[in-house]
Amino acid sequence: MSARFLVAAETAVAGTTAAALASLPVSFGPAAGAPDVLAVAGDAGWTGRAAAAIRRGARGVLVVEPVAEDPRAIAAEAADAGAAVALDQAWAGNPVLTAPPAAALDAVAGAMANAVLCDSVAYALPGTAAGTLLTRHLCAVLACGVELSGLRMVRLQPGGYLLAGQLPGGAPVALHGTTTAALPSTARISVLTRTGRTDVTLPEASAAGPADVRTVTADGSTTLPTRFESAHRRSWLRLHAAVDSGNGLDDLERFAAVAALVRNLTG
Amino acid sequence: MDVDPAVAESVAARVGARFSTSTDELLADPEVDIVAICSPHQFHAEQVIAACRAGKKAVLCEKPFAMSGQEAEAIAAVSAETGVPIIVGAMHTFDPAWLAAEAAWGSLPGQVHTIRSSIVLPPNPRFEDFATEVVGRTPPPGRPQTGPDADAAMLSGGVMGLAIHDLPLVRRFCPDFAQVRVLHAEALAPFGYVLSLQAGDTAIELRAAMNDTWEPDWSFEAIGDDAALRIDFTPSYVQAGSATAWIRTREETTVFGPFGHNGYEGEWRRLAALARGTGTAPSAATLIDDLEFALAIADAAAGRVRPAAAAAAEARA
Repeated sequence: MSARFLVAAETAVAGTTAAALASLPVSFGPAAGAPDVLAVAGDAGWTGRAAAAIRRGARGVLVVEPVAEDPRAIAAEAADAGAAVALDQAWAGNPVLTAPPAAALDAVAGAMANAVLCDSVAYALPGTAAGTLLTRHLCAVLACGVELSGLRMVRLQPGGYLLAGQLPGGAPVALHGTTTAALPSTARISVLTRTGRTDVTLPEASAAGPADVRTVTADGSTTLPTRFESAHRRSWLRLHAAVDSGNGLDDLERFAAVAALVRNLTG
Repeated sequence: MDVDPAVAESVAARVGARFSTSTDELLADPEVDIVAICSPHQFHAEQVIAACRAGKKAVLCEKPFAMSGQEAEAIAAVSAETGVPIIVGAMHTFDPAWLAAEAAWGSLPGQVHTIRSSIVLPPNPRFEDFATEVVGRTPPPGRPQTGPDADAAMLSGGVMGLAIHDLPLVRRFCPDFAQVRVLHAEALAPFGYVLSLQAGDTAIELRAAMNDTWEPDWSFEAIGDDAALRIDFTPSYVQAGSATAWIRTREETTVFGPFGHNGYEGEWRRLAALARGTGTAPSAATLIDDLEFALAIADAAAGRVRPAAAAAAEARA
């Protein structure tokens, strides 16, 4: 039987944490004293607060929706301390991308082989900073296995952006972010091919609504089985496995590349 | 009427009509109430004007109804002088789901800051062959050599032949449409485009891909902070009913359609009403603005990928 870890959370993410851990009563419990694991809000300064938690003895840190900050220092501290840091992102952390089977990734990879366009749109609530939305969006696209190159900012406004770039074969990429309260905060990644397409629609994580993964080929269309698990719950399970096994996670290393890209693009 | 007598005879025979190879003969026929112009683009203006001068009850012209703002204004002047109403075959503007959403959207246009149009279409024969019996199909033109000129031609053709279906819809949500700028333009293989536009405070994203998929996917979105419109259109050619439209707010979603007829039939219903004297045609100003909006985007998109054209456009500006 795996270990049960005691958890504390920063106030800003206490509700999110409680909701996710209510479905993991065997793996986690509330900490009355020093926690094994701390949930940290991903707003500005999260790298410093996460590093401080590790210095205080936390064996694991879960960062909810991190903004683009350079995580290399915290990554080094975590490695030295043998602590694990998991990034909890609604889109990139969706279980269709982070838990086996890898059918969604296989579907995207299949489309990428003869892609003519990758068109992606991300919706967020009004007031969401363009850089914040872009960070989440880029993480989601990369988590789908879409390789991007030559990215450049076409439009950057307080409420959105348009990024253009290329896929490995030279096909165009368009990443569009916009804000509205009228639509769910979803990210859709569409890879069009000469004979069909693959669409991955990633939901917000406030509920356990499933992602939608659909592929169209010359033979018809296929929708992958739904998985009613929130990205929050899946992130906690990933962190549990890492702390329990002592094997680290590579979330920070992958995030470092995105954070650097966002800094360059938003200048 | 067709300049090819075999085509003219074949088409006329299907509906028991007389045929001609002469536009003048057709327009002189007092039994012709409505003229539908489906000729190559470059003949549209001349033929629309001639139909108006002939005193017909209404004219339907396939889009685009002219190839320049000057032609469009000449048409509008003749239409005003003769009183002959003109409808341009932008079928989505006659789709009953669009019209129902338009009647219900209230203050939505004032808050829209983002527009997305995405058109993914299979080869036309997939639908043409269920809409009629095609005789003597003309093979699609092969894509010219790759390069800036080929890309420019594809972008311009894509805007005037494909995006133009939805540009009148886009314009409804762009008070600053006259200031439209093309920020980014790319051609897709084998045919399509990625266009990023800005008109005042409104961001406009246009996508299209025509390839060998079997699944049509034609959507239009107008997004504001507190409300959003989405329309999923049925494919071209076939009588597959209307689009379905959704107006969403944080509190509710209102659905419009699908209804039993599409925008093609909507055009002809409007024409019939005009011929009976019971309908109203779009204003000439609307038609001119729609056309100039499309032409501006087509020219600028081509200019983005063709340096010489870009330089010329800049010099004109």
